Amino acid sequence: MSDLDDFKATYFDECSELMNELEEQFAAIEGGERDADRLNAVFRAIHSIKGGAGAFGFSGLVGFAHAYETLLDYVRDGRVEMTDDVVSLCIRANDIVGDYINAAQSGEELAADYGQEEKQRFDAIARGQRGGDEDEWSGEIIEEFDIEFTPVRVELAVDDGDVVEAVEAPVAAEPDTFDAPPMPVEPGHWEVRFTPYRQLYSRANDPLLLFRELAALGEINVRAILTDIPALSDFEPFGVYCSWEISLFAPDLTESAIREVFEFVDGDCSIEVVPLGHVVPPAAAPAPAPVAVVQPAKADENLMALTEDEVAAAPVRLVAEAPSAPVAAEPVAEEPALSFADLANEISASAPPRPVPQAAAPKPAAAPKPAAGGEGGEEGGNRAVGVQSIRVDLDKVDRVVNMVSELVITQSMLTQQMDENLRARYTELVRGLEVLAQTTRGLQDSVMAIRAQPVKSVFSRMPRLVRELATKTGKKIKLETIGENTEIDKTVIEQLSDPLTHMIRNSADHGIEDPEKRKSRGKSEIGTIRLSAEQAGGNILIIVEDDGNGINRERVLQLARDKGLVAPDITPTDEQIDQLIFAPGFSTADAVSDISGRGVGMDVVLSNIKKIGGSVHVRSWTGKGSRVTLRLPLTLAVLDVMLVKVGESPYVVPLSSIVETMQCSGAIFERVPSGGQVLQVRGEYVQVIDVAQRFGMHSNKAPDDRFVVLCESEGSQKVALVVDDIIGQQQVVIKSLEENFEQVEGIAGGTILGDGNVALIVDVQGLRVHQIHQNAA
Amino acid sequence: MEALSLREDNGDKTAVVGQNTLQLIAFSIGEQTYGVEITTVREIRAWNGATPLPNTRDFVRGVINLRGTIVPIFDLRARFGDGQTSPTKNHVVVVMSVGDKWVGILVDAVSDILTVSREDIHNVPEGNAIDTELLNGIITHDSRMVGLIDLHAVVNGAKLDG
Amino acid sequence: MTLRVLTVDDSRTILAMLHHTLSNAGFEVLQAEDGKQGLDVLMSHDIDVVITDINMPVMDGIEFIKNVRASGQYQSLPILILTTETSQDKRDQGKAAGGTGWIVKPFDPDKLISVIHRVVH
Repeated sequence: MSDLDDFKATYFDECSELMNELEEQFAAIEGGERDADRLNAVFRAIHSIKGGAGAFGFSGLVGFAHAYETLLDYVRDGRVEMTDDVVSLCIRANDIVGDYINAAQSGEELAADYGQEEKQRFDAIARGQRGGDEDEWSGEIIEEFDIEFTPVRVELAVDDGDVVEAVEAPVAAEPDTFDAPPMPVEPGHWEVRFTPYRQLYSRANDPLLLFRELAALGEINVRAILTDIPALSDFEPFGVYCSWEISLFAPDLTESAIREVFEFVDGDCSIEVVPLGHVVPPAAAPAPAPVAVVQPAKADENLMALTEDEVAAAPVRLVAEAPSAPVAAEPVAEEPALSFADLANEISASAPPRPVPQAAAPKPAAAPKPAAGGEGGEEGGNRAVGVQSIRVDLDKVDRVVNMVSELVITQSMLTQQMDENLRARYTELVRGLEVLAQTTRGLQDSVMAIRAQPVKSVFSRMPRLVRELATKTGKKIKLETIGENTEIDKTVIEQLSDPLTHMIRNSADHGIEDPEKRKSRGKSEIGTIRLSAEQAGGNILIIVEDDGNGINRERVLQLARDKGLVAPDITPTDEQIDQLIFAPGFSTADAVSDISGRGVGMDVVLSNIKKIGGSVHVRSWTGKGSRVTLRLPLTLAVLDVMLVKVGESPYVVPLSSIVETMQCSGAIFERVPSGGQVLQVRGEYVQVIDVAQRFGMHSNKAPDDRFVVLCESEGSQKVALVVDDIIGQQQVVIKSLEENFEQVEGIAGGTILGDGNVALIVDVQGLRVHQIHQNAA
Repeated sequence: MEALSLREDNGDKTAVVGQNTLQLIAFSIGEQTYGVEITTVREIRAWNGATPLPNTRDFVRGVINLRGTIVPIFDLRARFGDGQTSPTKNHVVVVMSVGDKWVGILVDAVSDILTVSREDIHNVPEGNAIDTELLNGIITHDSRMVGLIDLHAVVNGAKLDG
Repeated sequence: MTLRVLTVDDSRTILAMLHHTLSNAGFEVLQAEDGKQGLDVLMSHDIDVVITDINMPVMDGIEFIKNVRASGQYQSLPILILTTETSQDKRDQGKAAGGTGWIVKPFDPDKLISVIHRVVH
């Protein structure tokens, strides 16, 4: 059943959007915005989740969502007040709904009584509004639940009709069963008297269709009762004058099967169903007389109940009504009173604008079709739906993004090929290339904007995480989010969830202190974690801050020494110690805690972020808190780089991390006691990394002819890379090394140059981290 | 840099090969002949250089651009511990899939396509550690000895520390 | 003649399932995500039958039906209400607004088709 799987995938997609929506709505509701719009949105979200769940037979989810929805319905119509208690119950309920969805998606089974406690609280709150009817209330829930939803998909497929009928039939059937003995004289023979009221027609029901359906039940004989039709002078076009008597026979025909046919018109007509042999009282005055007064202005009836001939003959539709009635497809059938001239006008009115001949009949039908115009309806069979957004498969967008990226690179390659000589000779070509450059940049921006999404979609998952962490740790934690509308490439967003989760866990687990401790330090008992996003140039900064303890440097250093990450004779700076938490395998938890433990540390954050071309930086203030900053590229597709040579091989360094470049001959190097080299730049000493040496490659250039690339990764100290040559700036598309190989130390990925060769992307931050280890070793 | 696509060319042959036989692409390194199952081979291309990868063992010759994806190249001679190949334009890279990854193997030349019976595969004799590590078995074909390459073993341990 | 069905629902899942079921049954299917879009589509296309959800943003199903019926052109257009509501409430509201019949979610494909044939010529 791949169709079913497709639907499920759509459903889970939709659920995750709806869960985000809930998270967002409740953030506002918690903040006091309890207006009807928000409550309606919440109700709809839960309602949609329930609806889909029913279709797939996720009965646990249906049951819970149903109880929750009922409560929301009460809140919505004011029967239950949205107190803070109710709000927090709802937030808890959202989490449970989320768990049910996750379980359904992964095929797990939740405990049968999962969320039972909350469900009972919904009932209790709702029951409180119902006064004494306690038993009836709980009865209702169970009954609705059982009847509507417990049957699984397959059963419903068979029983649906009967189920509906089971609810209604007894009520409807009762009077007759009392009036008439239940035993028909001739089994299977029935007489039906059917008298439609006006509203039956105004709801687009049609006796003809009902007869057709009856005919499907067995042998049928329909007789129209025309005695009520008045003289033509009294004939009211929208009056209802006709009723019918129907004889039906089928061996197993039951009354309920007959009544089911009239299910939709229940209340819109009078129906008598009696077994043959019982006398039908002659047209025993059906309740409201069908001869109502017609209001011409609102001539709401239709004539579909009559035969086609009658329709054609009837004096149709008042002229006064025409302006409000845009012409339908069948002007002939519907408006036979129109002259051919009118008709011609109608047709021309629906064609592209053309002056309407004034000679036309007085009927104002020549008025332009309202709304039907511009939508493209004229193009016959046009299926375009008048919406402002379309949903496109992400694959398709990605294909465009990739192609545009390649185009940008080809363009920059072309530009590079233009030497002075060519420029002087082919000015037109140069101008063309300039325009091409502009256009491709514009194209690239537009395409990237398609894939951009607000970070909200990840941020909105965090409040729940914080609530859970607070419960588990017994701490009081508040989450603040800032800049959640900041947009970033969808592919980056997808990579963001795990690192953010990890960082927030870390803050809650190691950063924020117990309430008592906070109190004793003169801080508020409630710890704050602040999650923010902002754009800074070509990058997005995602910052997780807390007002907790800060990094315990003593312990970090001790652990690092124990693990051999830092040599005993080296005293790292505070900043270096802070960065140690990103070292592979490093975890500060004394015991692997249930929360941020599980044997993985912040190194996971670092490697995830590096994978998408970003960098991570941590700052800490003892006793006051810490801040982790993720610097991410706006897009994953294209990277601005400096192309350099190391040995004979091309390497690229992300432009965002380069401060400046200089020739080695003009740089001041000094030796430090450990044997390493430092570079002196404007009074600052910067660690030097000879990339060729570091990568085990042979450089055959004289030391003075080489170049220094001064780099600074996010917030951390500078580092000077020595390379053999600087070739120039360009844009590249990042390609993964891991796709076919594995991660290589000091390399952030690869890229393909204009000549088809592969260049490697230098992982500046990785080189520095490695350097610390090397010193330690 | 002509790429010879083997899959199409040999589609028919593969179809008639029974369950008990398998087809190998045979290639040579010096006097030695090795083989890999034809179904794993994606394409064969002439050596055209590779960008060296730092911090890897000597048998990792670097990476190449294969229609937009980056593919690592392993020097099979170096992998068997006989020193790095000094490749020329006449050397050949056999691109194959190992699991869900594509890798290239640098060899001296591709010599033949062999159809052999599974029953003819013998165990690798104990003794040479590298052979037992990298070969799945040995086949005698036309009085030549063909070592059946274990691709997973070949690409393992590429990192310097690993 | 191919019948054209307009489906109006804010749930993509339901829209997708309706689309699948209906197009397999030979209907031409148009979609809208709320009542307002529904009206737009209705006015620019010839629609034979409408299937609409009740709970939707922007313009809910009840409003949508009222709007459709208020226009003289669509009085004989069959409108089926999609509902998970078991309470007679929603159904009655929908009918009062001018709904022709209803379909209870989760719907069974065969049942859906038969209900449509019940209200369309």
